[in-house]
Amino acid sequence: MRQPPLDRFVRLVSWGSTLLLLASVATVIGFLLIKGYSSLSLKLVFGDTPPMEALLLRRPVFGGLFPAMVGTFSLVVLAITLAVPLGLAAGIYMAEYGRGRIQRALGLFFDILAGVPSIVVGLFGFSVAVFLHRHFGGRIYPCLLISALSLAFLVLPYLIRTTQNALEALPEAVRLTAPALGATRLQNICFVLLPRALPGILSGVILAIGRCAEDTAVIMLTGVVATAGLPRSLFSSYEALPFYIYYISSQYRDPEELATGYAAALILLAICAMLFAAAALIQQRLGARLHQRL
Amino acid sequence: MKMGLWFKAAAVVVMMGLAALPASADPLAAFNGQKGEIRISGGTAHIPVMEEAAKQIRTANPDVQISIAGGGSGVGIKQAGEGLVDIGNSGRKPTDEEVAKYGLKVFRWALDGVGAVVHPDNPVQSLSKDQLKQVYAGAIDNWKVLGGQDKAINLYTRDEASGTRDVFWKRALDKGDIHAKANVVPSNGAMKTAVANDPYAIGYVSVGHIDVTVAPVALDGVVPTNETVKSGAYPVSRGLYSLTKGEPGRLAKAFIDYLFSSTGQQIIVDKGFIPGN
Amino acid sequence: MDGERIAQKVFLLAAVLSASVTVLLLVFMVILGLPLFQGGLFLRILTHPWLPGRQLFGVWPMIVGTLAIASLAMAVAFPLSLGVSSLIAVVAPGRIAHLVKSAVAFMTGIPTVVYGFVGVFLLVPLVRETFARGSGLCVLTAGLVLGILVAPTMILFFSDALARVPGSHRVAAEALGATPAQVLVYVLIPGAWRGIVTGLVLSTGRAVGDTLIALMLAGNAAQVPGGLLDSARALTAHIALVIASDFDSLEFKTIFACGILLYAFTAAATIAVRRLGRKGEPVR
Repeated sequence: MRQPPLDRFVRLVSWGSTLLLLASVATVIGFLLIKGYSSLSLKLVFGDTPPMEALLLRRPVFGGLFPAMVGTFSLVVLAITLAVPLGLAAGIYMAEYGRGRIQRALGLFFDILAGVPSIVVGLFGFSVAVFLHRHFGGRIYPCLLISALSLAFLVLPYLIRTTQNALEALPEAVRLTAPALGATRLQNICFVLLPRALPGILSGVILAIGRCAEDTAVIMLTGVVATAGLPRSLFSSYEALPFYIYYISSQYRDPEELATGYAAALILLAICAMLFAAAALIQQRLGARLHQRL
Repeated sequence: MKMGLWFKAAAVVVMMGLAALPASADPLAAFNGQKGEIRISGGTAHIPVMEEAAKQIRTANPDVQISIAGGGSGVGIKQAGEGLVDIGNSGRKPTDEEVAKYGLKVFRWALDGVGAVVHPDNPVQSLSKDQLKQVYAGAIDNWKVLGGQDKAINLYTRDEASGTRDVFWKRALDKGDIHAKANVVPSNGAMKTAVANDPYAIGYVSVGHIDVTVAPVALDGVVPTNETVKSGAYPVSRGLYSLTKGEPGRLAKAFIDYLFSSTGQQIIVDKGFIPGN
Repeated sequence: MDGERIAQKVFLLAAVLSASVTVLLLVFMVILGLPLFQGGLFLRILTHPWLPGRQLFGVWPMIVGTLAIASLAMAVAFPLSLGVSSLIAVVAPGRIAHLVKSAVAFMTGIPTVVYGFVGVFLLVPLVRETFARGSGLCVLTAGLVLGILVAPTMILFFSDALARVPGSHRVAAEALGATPAQVLVYVLIPGAWRGIVTGLVLSTGRAVGDTLIALMLAGNAAQVPGGLLDSARALTAHIALVIASDFDSLEFKTIFACGILLYAFTAAATIAVRRLGRKGEPVR
């Protein structure tokens, strides 16, 4: 039986676009794998420094990705540490306490913040650094802390919304049991609702980590540099993987340096893929568990 | 105790370095026992020298962190002046106003030129000043007019913070127009990479950065090289400067002294510049 | 009950603090760009060309550049996303749809800088050689990559919207003998239009606000692009390029004009989407 023209057209377009999209992403990943895989090596990460010496921070690494990896790691840990408590608390407010107008207004602010381009958040961080520098004795510079703070602002609305959604998605039965047994509202939140919503919140946190690890626009305005070695303190400049990739793409000096760029891109991609897989796994477990209970 | 061991190792390295040196005092000695951070930003022509110096200093004393950012000369001058960095680099002489406004102290440690460059496969490797000006103004927009292939000329320039742009614009283009269609790249390194990858490009870089990946363009018959810059035959030359706000702090001073030591001067030569002030 | 009250206050404080960041962002930009708002200067900056040699620091070319790159990206991403989400919704439901959806969700996690990096070394030379004009750093290259970058988010929006159309509508259409394509075109897409518009608007905000792709692939020439193969500079890239110049000059102040403009655009998009959502089903 011949299909009607409309059906053929829809099939053609939808299969065509799907294959096109998958093919372009396969090209991106394949290109990186082919060009980058052969150059992946310990030397690439640690340069000429023995890996153990570098890992124990006994000797600096030159011409390797190690400082950039440590920089990105510190940045992510710091940003998440700053953002999670605030985001969680605000999310709890939105789901459990906020009502009516105030809640709607707060929601509007979070949605606007979620849409603000990261370069604008970076510009904010930069302005804050310059402001603090001028008014507080010149001891604050664009640095790790300023970058982490800006990144925290970037992922904050996201954390608030995932927390709120995870709490609001809990079945009414779960919500009412503990209060019926005499638990206070706070006890209900801490001992019943939050633990049950934890998988949802956790996968949100993991995706926020990915966002912090990959963002380049914020950090390039707030303290990342091409060469810094390991950050000494919260107030140091630092290196980071995504900025390194950007930097190498425009100013590699020789094929070896370009190869480190490919490898760095591959490593960053792998990190983000792993984070994504972790978040997906948690969400899947969550789905399965909810089905069991319902 | 591990640190103690490391210091011994460092001492050995330092001593080996010392033995290799003809000069008297060890320039790295000033960093002994020091801790802290030296922040450097600004001129992008300076970066290879800065990185090598940082590597040698940090190999001897890992407790000193040295961060190096680009941005261009305008950034170096401003950030040093605002106290956002310890050393600001500039590929142009800071104006008297800038020096007075911020109380800058100026250290000139190398002579450099700014040369037009094209892709090595481009047959057009010599231009008159007038031709160069017309190319950048957009009046000549095809390589055919200059004896090359029938291909549009892809202009590359730098952002407004660039000292390299400033010098090139004043001395090579006589403050003539740079057409707005020109692609803008953020550093000398990026300019070299961009021109090396684009067969129909023309750009301009620090002479110290010119290598086999790009071809220098002779200006009125004079090829930009260290020799022609040094002799004065190639007119588009400039100093490479490091600036501090007032007297440099202890670490910044040690760093600048290191640039002026014999080891530092060797680094400057190795990276393609003409040392001295 | 005291602990209860304190806890409630703390949660409220966290929410208010977080919301205040949204306001602070704008306030800081306005204060630092303050001289911009005197004597019609802001308007002049928005409408003038960028000619530093003649002391003209207008961002009009960047506004056009942003619009050109973002429109192209949307022109690529919209049909692509509609196609892929149709596949998920009706053409190949089941395992294939699940697989495609997982792949799309994964794509949202690919770092932007990775797209940019591959764009520089794969697409730029390709565009340069194919069209034999220009350097390959142009509106076309940036728009294509940006389109691929925003498509996955758009697809997730679209498939959610299509999936939320009540099953009864679908069943009714099928009972009347509608083919899958007819169900899609006459039932699902009209029923999901709010969600589709929402996805479109928010993705446009994303495309307008992206920095790296334009910065790495569009060439950054401060001119009004005359065609797809011309080099162009986006507002975001302008901020990244000029951030470093001197702090007091008018030139530097223009980046706050760009920042305010980007903020205003994305905020307006968000508000529009919320109004749209409130009229129909809740957006989220």
